[in-house]
Amino acid sequence: MAASQTLRVNGEDVAVEVGDSDTPLLYILRNDVGLKGPRFGCGLGQCGACTVHINGESVRSCQMPLSSVAPTDEIVTLEGLGTKENPHPLQTAFIEEQAVQCGYCINGMIMESATFLDRNGNPSDDEIKTALANNLCRCSVHLRIVRAVKRAAQG
Amino acid sequence: MNKKILGSDIVRRDILKGAGGLVVGFALAGCGIAETGGENTAAASGRKPLGPYGPPADEIDSWIAIAEDGTATLFTGCCELGTGSSTGLLQIMAEELDIAFADARLHGPDTSHTPDQFVSSGSRTISVHGKPIRTAAAHARHALVRMAANHLGVSADQLEVNEGVVSVIGNPTQSVGYGDLMGGKLFDIKIADATDGESVGWYGDDTTGENGEPIQQSLVQLKDPSQYKIVGTPVKRIDIPDKVFGTFTFMQDLKVPGMLHGRIIRPPSHGANVIEIDESSVANIPGFVKVVHINDYVGVVCEREEQAIAAAQALNVIWSDWAGLPDMADLNDVIRNAPEMPDGYSSRPDRPPRPGGIVANEGDVEAGLNNATRTVEAFYTTPYHHHGSIGPSCAVADYSSEGTTVWSGSQTPYGLRESCAKFLGVENNMVRLIYVEASGCYGQNGADDVTLDAIIMSRDVGRPVRVQWMRADENGWETYKSARIYDCRGGVDAEGNITAWETLTRGFSGYSRPQYHEPAHGGEPGSLVPAKLAGWTEPGLEEGFGGAAGNFLPVYQNIRNKLIQFTYLGAASHRDGSLQIRTGSMRGVGSPDNIFVIECLMDELAAAADADALEFRLRHAPTDRMRAVFEAAAERANWQARPSYSQPNQGDIAYGRGIAALGSPVDTNVVGIFEVAVDRRSGQVHLQRAVVAQDCGLVVNPDTVTDQLEASVIQNLSRALKEEVTFDNSKVTSLDWVTYPIMTFPEIPDAVEIILLDRQNQPPGRVGEPASEVVWPALANAIYDAIGVRMREMPFKPERILAALQEQV
Repeated sequence: MAASQTLRVNGEDVAVEVGDSDTPLLYILRNDVGLKGPRFGCGLGQCGACTVHINGESVRSCQMPLSSVAPTDEIVTLEGLGTKENPHPLQTAFIEEQAVQCGYCINGMIMESATFLDRNGNPSDDEIKTALANNLCRCSVHLRIVRAVKRAAQG
Repeated sequence: MNKKILGSDIVRRDILKGAGGLVVGFALAGCGIAETGGENTAAASGRKPLGPYGPPADEIDSWIAIAEDGTATLFTGCCELGTGSSTGLLQIMAEELDIAFADARLHGPDTSHTPDQFVSSGSRTISVHGKPIRTAAAHARHALVRMAANHLGVSADQLEVNEGVVSVIGNPTQSVGYGDLMGGKLFDIKIADATDGESVGWYGDDTTGENGEPIQQSLVQLKDPSQYKIVGTPVKRIDIPDKVFGTFTFMQDLKVPGMLHGRIIRPPSHGANVIEIDESSVANIPGFVKVVHINDYVGVVCEREEQAIAAAQALNVIWSDWAGLPDMADLNDVIRNAPEMPDGYSSRPDRPPRPGGIVANEGDVEAGLNNATRTVEAFYTTPYHHHGSIGPSCAVADYSSEGTTVWSGSQTPYGLRESCAKFLGVENNMVRLIYVEASGCYGQNGADDVTLDAIIMSRDVGRPVRVQWMRADENGWETYKSARIYDCRGGVDAEGNITAWETLTRGFSGYSRPQYHEPAHGGEPGSLVPAKLAGWTEPGLEEGFGGAAGNFLPVYQNIRNKLIQFTYLGAASHRDGSLQIRTGSMRGVGSPDNIFVIECLMDELAAAADADALEFRLRHAPTDRMRAVFEAAAERANWQARPSYSQPNQGDIAYGRGIAALGSPVDTNVVGIFEVAVDRRSGQVHLQRAVVAQDCGLVVNPDTVTDQLEASVIQNLSRALKEEVTFDNSKVTSLDWVTYPIMTFPEIPDAVEIILLDRQNQPPGRVGEPASEVVWPALANAIYDAIGVRMREMPFKPERILAALQEQV
């Protein structure tokens, strides 16, 4: 069914018009809102590349139909987490640790880590690994990602 | 949108002002560039036809442009694949040009702007393709200093350059910047030695090439590495900030005006043919534009992405039945019985294949085995692997009979461009390929195929089309690392010296790219699945040569009796070959398999000789550089000499260590020492510590090199412990991350320690792939040391470990 609704993305209200309200939020954010942070990896909720925050929780946007997002839900993407001028500590830490190769998974790594650090401000390496257990990185930059999350936590 | 002018009629144009300052270079008039950032550098002045392979390699202007603000843009045909190599290339240019790294810019690859640098593969971007960039930058600096001498009225030998400013030695107030000297103008100077290829020495002082042919001496002095200020330092990568702020444009993000969305519908089995398509099954889907159908090629195009996904799922296609794949359990027998291709093993079309696929045949293996006090006979196998790109392949094409532009993540920009042009029946210069970095590929994933998919769909609907593969498309229709089998024999005498060595390998092609390996140009569409499905009958390049890569030879130089044979089983595409599972390049192209077997056989022989695994290797005469790497790794790992498996441990957790090496007298030498814990109850293997020492010659950026090595350990740990492509009688069945699990964070090693030997006075070698290749054998040898069982079949899954332990009892 046709859907015309307002989304609250990175602190701004955005009107979207979509033919089918079952459309995953991922495609709306990428193609209608024009964002590049959330990425299509599997469309199955298995890899984490599409992760965004909804009301402060990490969500797989490829598995989230538009119909289940309310106009008041606060959606935050990688672009809204921080900017070059005002970076989130994780973004700074990922640059400092050079914890990126191709970077396709990095949206998910940072977004998942951000909500994790909100819950656990002083994590051990094992806690970081457990928190990221459902985020896949094929370039295999895992060691640097763990170091970057730890660096961000330690400020 | 601008229609493109892709013919070779280049006109000299006034230099245009771009947002980044004045930049020149060869380019085409009126080329539409989408949001790739090309606008800054596309301003242009071409003076001659580009020819079928882009700007001429022997002109400075093909490589480097100096803007009025003093920034320098590198035009490279090398693809940044996520490894950081583009930052390294900019370091090389900035160093030789004597500019600040912050003033270095990157452009390309783009078949209309950048020289053909062949395939960006094999970890050779720096070691091979960095050379012409270094040479071009040296020529540019030489020219700029001469211009400054004229400008300042002094001789060139009175001048020095610091960060793009030329000044009189001892009188720095007398100076002029590069931007003022020539910003926006063309050099119009030939490069004396412009060759891009493996035969050209890094130092420009080689007098003969690989085959003894004379190499023209460079007329311009290259900088002495002892003077380096930028090369050799851990410059931060240029691409990472945009990647962490969500402002990077991946291939998957690229949009062009008026773009539609396409999805592919591949056959449900590798050999199935279309019988009938019921287009009414999708006619009512909102935004539906067209079903694209040519022979067995099927795609759908819609206005919106989710509509195209829905249409691809809904389209009712009746396919013929096909079940021509063997049972997976019979794979080894199928490989053993597959007919040999007569070509033998040759990685280059310009070189004759080695008859019979014999890589080395020295002495007398049978006599050596007869003289042995102990012999080893072993059968090793390796499975098919997925590349496992996190982002499925994507391309955008804008077809026009006046010229087609395609945006692609292919590693082979020029060869793929030629393949697409041949498919369309047009000249090369009627297709322009603009490279846009995509998700990491690790070899030939779907990037080449999806490029032709986008062209086919755009041609059919007459509008730009973006084609994004779904996860199952990627896993189901990419190329795979070929499975291989190895029959091995060896012997040692009473003194613990190897008396005989035999490795007989069978495997399919390691190369399905649409482009020849360098130095030959050219591409063929027959290597591309969409071309084959659409009825292209000419063979692809994989049918001409094996591309099985090297490293069949152990690094040990005093093995007298040896027979090393590679039986090439030919092309294996999804539609042709004796086994219709398509094989292609993946990080190492057969080398990881070969080194796995070589270094495990070496370990078996060391154990047969009751020798320490390291001491046994050193007694078999590695080169001095190889020996130094062994010693560096052993020192860091605190290696204690003892035979393996000499410390039987009957507890639940058994601990072991393993070593493996690979090297080349003219390239990288690397040693890995791994420490594992094996859980006898569960069969789980955990890597506690990996020490990897590498001599890869000159290191351009020690941080990106270290990063490559750390990642090589983890990616190949994943491949060794977990990965195996599965298939039924119709098709590949490991189509997602549940059916093809890869390494997750909780499984990563506790510690990976990288040692880079200081060899800044040696030419740079390959970086990422060699380190990958020691991982499987170091792991297998460590498992043996822990529990006393040889893991000769990959992957080393818990059930295999448990079965092996059971057999041991």
